[in-house]
Amino acid sequence: MKRSIMLSSLAAIVVVVALSLFLATRHPVLGATEAPSPLLGKAAPQLSGTKLGGGTWSLKSELGHVVVVNFWASWCGPCRVEAPELSAFAWQERNKGVDLVGVVFNDSLSAAAAFAAQYGSLYPSVVDPGGVIANRYGITSPPTTFVINAKGVVEATLLGPVGAKQLEGVVAHVKATS
Amino acid sequence: MKVLRSFALWCVALLAVVVFSIALRPSGSGTLARTQHLETLVRCPACDDLSVAVSNATSAIAVRHEIATKVRQGQSDNQILTSLESVYGTSILLSPPSSGLGVLLWIVPLLVVVLLIVSALRLARRR
Amino acid sequence: MTLTWLGRVCLYVSFVGTLGGVIEQLRALRQHRTSRAIRWAALALVGIVAAVGVMEFALITHNFSLAYVAENNATFTPLLYSITGMWSALEGSLLLWVLLQSVITFGVLYYYRRDRGDAVVGWATTVLFGIAAFFTLLMMGPADPFLHNAALVHQGAGPNALLQDNPLVAAHPPFLYLGFVGFSVPFAFAIAMLITGRVQDRWPLEQRRWTVLAWGSLSLGIVLGAWWSYQVLGWGGFWGWDPVENAALLPWLTATAYIHSVIVQDRRGLFRVWNLSLAIATFALTILGTFFTRSGVLVSVHAFSSSTLGPLLIGLFFVVVISGAGLLAWRGDRLRAPVGVDHPLSREGLFVANNILFVGFAIVVLLGTVFPLLYQAVNGTQVTVGTPYFASVAAPVSILLLVLMAIAPLVSWRSADARVLWSRTRVSAWAATLTIAVLLIVGIRRPAELAAVFLAVLAAGAALRTLRGALLAAIRRGSWRSAVRAPATGGMIVHLGVVILAVGIVTSTTYVTRTEVTLATGQSTVIDGQLIGFSGFRNVSDALRSATQLRVSVDGHRLLPAVTTYNGRNGQTVGTPAIDSNFTRDVYVTFEAVGGNGSTSGAQVRNNLPAGSVVLGVTVEPLLAWLWLGGLVIGLGSALSFFRRRYNDEVTT
Repeated sequence: MKRSIMLSSLAAIVVVVALSLFLATRHPVLGATEAPSPLLGKAAPQLSGTKLGGGTWSLKSELGHVVVVNFWASWCGPCRVEAPELSAFAWQERNKGVDLVGVVFNDSLSAAAAFAAQYGSLYPSVVDPGGVIANRYGITSPPTTFVINAKGVVEATLLGPVGAKQLEGVVAHVKATS
Repeated sequence: MKVLRSFALWCVALLAVVVFSIALRPSGSGTLARTQHLETLVRCPACDDLSVAVSNATSAIAVRHEIATKVRQGQSDNQILTSLESVYGTSILLSPPSSGLGVLLWIVPLLVVVLLIVSALRLARRR
Repeated sequence: MTLTWLGRVCLYVSFVGTLGGVIEQLRALRQHRTSRAIRWAALALVGIVAAVGVMEFALITHNFSLAYVAENNATFTPLLYSITGMWSALEGSLLLWVLLQSVITFGVLYYYRRDRGDAVVGWATTVLFGIAAFFTLLMMGPADPFLHNAALVHQGAGPNALLQDNPLVAAHPPFLYLGFVGFSVPFAFAIAMLITGRVQDRWPLEQRRWTVLAWGSLSLGIVLGAWWSYQVLGWGGFWGWDPVENAALLPWLTATAYIHSVIVQDRRGLFRVWNLSLAIATFALTILGTFFTRSGVLVSVHAFSSSTLGPLLIGLFFVVVISGAGLLAWRGDRLRAPVGVDHPLSREGLFVANNILFVGFAIVVLLGTVFPLLYQAVNGTQVTVGTPYFASVAAPVSILLLVLMAIAPLVSWRSADARVLWSRTRVSAWAATLTIAVLLIVGIRRPAELAAVFLAVLAAGAALRTLRGALLAAIRRGSWRSAVRAPATGGMIVHLGVVILAVGIVTSTTYVTRTEVTLATGQSTVIDGQLIGFSGFRNVSDALRSATQLRVSVDGHRLLPAVTTYNGRNGQTVGTPAIDSNFTRDVYVTFEAVGGNGSTSGAQVRNNLPAGSVVLGVTVEPLLAWLWLGGLVIGLGSALSFFRRRYNDEVTT
């Protein structure tokens, strides 16, 4: 009788170990929703400024490339989950005519720099003093991502944390239809 | 004996009611019923787990139209579901395919039942 | 910065309290002395209450120096939704969890204060302190609710629209969490009983008492959640077999099995190993459920945003199951009862069948919930496991459970006598047969409905008969009031509630009709016997939201289905359904679209319809209100069951 309890306990332990290992190694599902935005189909508003690490960046100089613009903040929870995905995406697309740039939304320089260093520094982020760029793009809550085609027209607006796979799909769609 | 007689009497009454209920059962084989049944098996493309039968999203309404059209064209249930799967992907079906890994979903419940009954019998046999 | 600092200090104080409690209990156990852990529990409680106070203060005063408040609150958020904002997102929900855990830990220590020297209480409360410490640590690390918001924000994002348009947001999570947290008590006692080897005397029933409290809360929490989803999600349904819903159902299933199985232990000393396993499994499933809800690995409309908590929660799940299974393997054989089940169709035998059904169903639901993850890992593609699968498993299980409810209360202990069973069931059997005959005659003929009603009458009959027996016995003893504390009273009332719930579920899903109707202003039509009329538009707008409401009348009652846009989070637009409800049917009306090109507040436009006309979605569901009535009765019954007498006490009282 002791054996049957031992056996079932052992079986339970094996199943639980397998299940735990499996579940612990799953990645969270990221999902941003495509949102209707007054910018869709129009030329992207001006976006230029100083980068977090120094230097300047301007949307105009990226004509001919697809540009993904991601508005984020250090105090924004979903941004933390999204940042590594964006880094991975930026790295894999770096020589394929797709550029990724972040824009710091309503945040302090030190907090933003710390965030970028910790979570995702494989793409540049532009500082936005006074929230001028955010106003032009109509941002009220990060994370928000815009996909601008090679001709400088806004083709997609995504609200919420976007994952690398989803972004790949959207960018592929934009490339195909422009 | 009295107990047996009263039980038998009740069984007869129940049998009569069951026979009547089968005879009077509403038929479920019309095209409308088929369409409605198929709608409960297909997920609304924009939702996480609602079927197109209950969702009123634009994409759900579109899929409902597709199903209704295909039923009218005379396609079989299997054909309709397969064609939807090829357009929207396997995740559009609310029940995974029973082939491949999906067979687990049906085998495991049976296995569980068998296992538990066996353990219960062993419990009962031990005196 | 001050609020962040203050909140964090309160959390540290609470953590010190839990840690102190663990140390004090372990030392008291080792030194065989009375423990002073209740003081540490008080400290932990004070700490978490203060932390909750800080968060609520920040929410109510719209203090955006906390990132959490900036994300979940806005200056125009009403008071109720500011308060409930504490559990609207992940970090804050942990505050509620730890609050309840600390209250329960203190409660258990206080309730058993005269048994402070008892090793079972000692080990149990050690475990409870440990669990509280773990969740507090989560808030001190990866899920910090008091994270400082470095930016100077003048306006917050506001809560999610679906979390601020119905007051049930104030009821569902607290009851649900009370259930989840409550299951830590039977688990703690199971561990304690295994360590000390004392599975007998009063502890199993004490353990059951707390489980009933947790189970009752969880049942209410689940029903309230279903009611809330029903009222706001717009599809007229109340359960979607969504991963987070399943996460709450799984521990409920094993807890139900446990509550029943422990009756046999009380009466005949059997099933000790089963019961310990069920208590451990219930809490393990609670943690697993928390993992599903908070890790973001499964897609769900109810899930909190993904976080790094996943692996940590799996770690706790792992520890819970391994320690439980390990202790069982070590001690299990010593606990086995010397006797067995005499006959498979005796009361004990039917309880075994009951255990099998509930545990089997739980395993299948768990498999269905994680299957998409498995499939994706193996095949790389997405797959959905939805209602058709779960319903096809739930239907036979429910039928068998109703059969058990109809027979088991009337079957004798230790023996199975068909004659005795028939003499006790005869009246219900005839009542059931006559009922479905009447239904057939009046035109209700769907097999599912008839089968459900037949079994429901049988089950209700068994419950009523048992209640009558308890009442008669109490009257004979001279005090009819003592029937309230009779062993079966609470449980039979719960069964009646379940029967009402079951009939409600089957009837509303079998006979539901969904129609879309287009009405011009002033026009009315009849759908499914209900008179629906549309008399015009009504726009409301305040700081919180702007909505286009429709003046609709259903059978003379005024309803205002609407499309509402909440200010804040990018102007989230949601449909606001309106419901006309009575005990015979619910009429569920949604604002689907408006004709012409006059669109306000985000309502869908259909250009092929004349302006001023609207498209309404009308869903008629008979007996839907029976679900909520059934839930209420279940809650009442479980409250009564908390005060149940021990079997042995009944003879002497």
